[in-house]
Amino acid sequence: MAEPREGRMRLTVLGGFLGAGKTTWLRHQVHDGQFQEACVIVNEAAETPVDDALLGGAARVAVLAGGCACCVARDQFLALLRRLADARSAREASAARLQRLVLETSGLAHPGAIVEAIRADPLLVHHVVVHEIIVVVDGRYALAQLSREPLGRAQLEVADRLVVTKIDEAAAQASLPRLLATLRQLNPGAVITGAIKGAPAPLPAWEMAAPEPLPALDAGAAARPVFPTRLVLDATIDWTAFSVWLSALLHARGEDVLRVKGVVRTPAGRLLVQAVRQSVQAPEILPEQDGVEAREDDTVVVIGRGYRAEDLRRSLRYFARSGRC
Amino acid sequence: MCASCGYPTAPGHWTDAGLVERGARLRARFRRAEILQAILPAYGLTAHDGGLVPGLQLATLTGRQALVADLTEFWAVAEQLAGRPVDPLDPRFTGAEEAP
Repeated sequence: MAEPREGRMRLTVLGGFLGAGKTTWLRHQVHDGQFQEACVIVNEAAETPVDDALLGGAARVAVLAGGCACCVARDQFLALLRRLADARSAREASAARLQRLVLETSGLAHPGAIVEAIRADPLLVHHVVVHEIIVVVDGRYALAQLSREPLGRAQLEVADRLVVTKIDEAAAQASLPRLLATLRQLNPGAVITGAIKGAPAPLPAWEMAAPEPLPALDAGAAARPVFPTRLVLDATIDWTAFSVWLSALLHARGEDVLRVKGVVRTPAGRLLVQAVRQSVQAPEILPEQDGVEAREDDTVVVIGRGYRAEDLRRSLRYFARSGRC
Repeated sequence: MCASCGYPTAPGHWTDAGLVERGARLRARFRRAEILQAILPAYGLTAHDGGLVPGLQLATLTGRQALVADLTEFWAVAEQLAGRPVDPLDPRFTGAEEAP
């Protein structure tokens, strides 16, 4: 996707359970030339930071220790972002400004809560836009963690991209295809890639593998499978009707609708609509483009559970027809 | 920035995105009210937006009223007034193909 032409800093949230390999993966990306101009924020739940020492190659590293950015250290995290936004605004518009932020969360953070905190901040919402949520998954231990830890599942469900680490060690265990099938079931919308010590690695064939039957962690909710629904907004569905419908859906079904993402055409341009749980990010206007990606316009993917895909479409059509004679 | 209090203004609600053309905001408000008027009677509620006062007016059939700023607040207040959330996946919206 082309970089949108707006002035906010783009934040990549890197999450994943304790020991999944977040820092290793990020260190390799930095070494590889990714995130070069970005400011990397490392958050650790423990008092003594270690991870920042490992990230020597990044241009700028800020450390947030002694609490998790999604709960205990939320205020410190927001204050840090405000300082960065302030320093950036102080520079001339023509000078090179900080464009990208990478937040490496603590292993105990819920990425959704961080996205919500930024959106709810009246100042930061003008300066920071969440670009991508990447969640690192431990190739060896994730299956065991997923059956025990509700947090591990919650992290996976909101991801745009899942990076399965320690592929080499996991391949020896033969449970890797089962893990991949389980991930696909938990988050059908995410791109899944593999990594060995941070470097991209091919995934084994797993299309035929059956997902691990995960025990229900909270009565009922986790037992129902999560699935993606593609909504095609044809000419009969206008943006106003869609936004009325989506706001109602998120209010009534906020627990079940995990992720909404898509591009909607409006008279003002192409709007990128994104929601994580009940939190909707201020839609950005994307640059016009021709060719391949334009086909993805007017398509919105809703990822969630506890409803039928056909009901979403019918209900949206009902809203769009309302009031039109 | 608000000139009186110095606070940065809240960013517009996400449902207002893309309304930049002349009159688009007003048209969207009328369209919104139109949709809500079709959806809400099932829940014993009515909505009104005359385009003059900022915000949407919400009322029950027994006369309780509320003025809300945006759609997020709207659904929360509608739930309070109706005693249950307005669910777009209610069978009455998913079963019937044609709107009344």
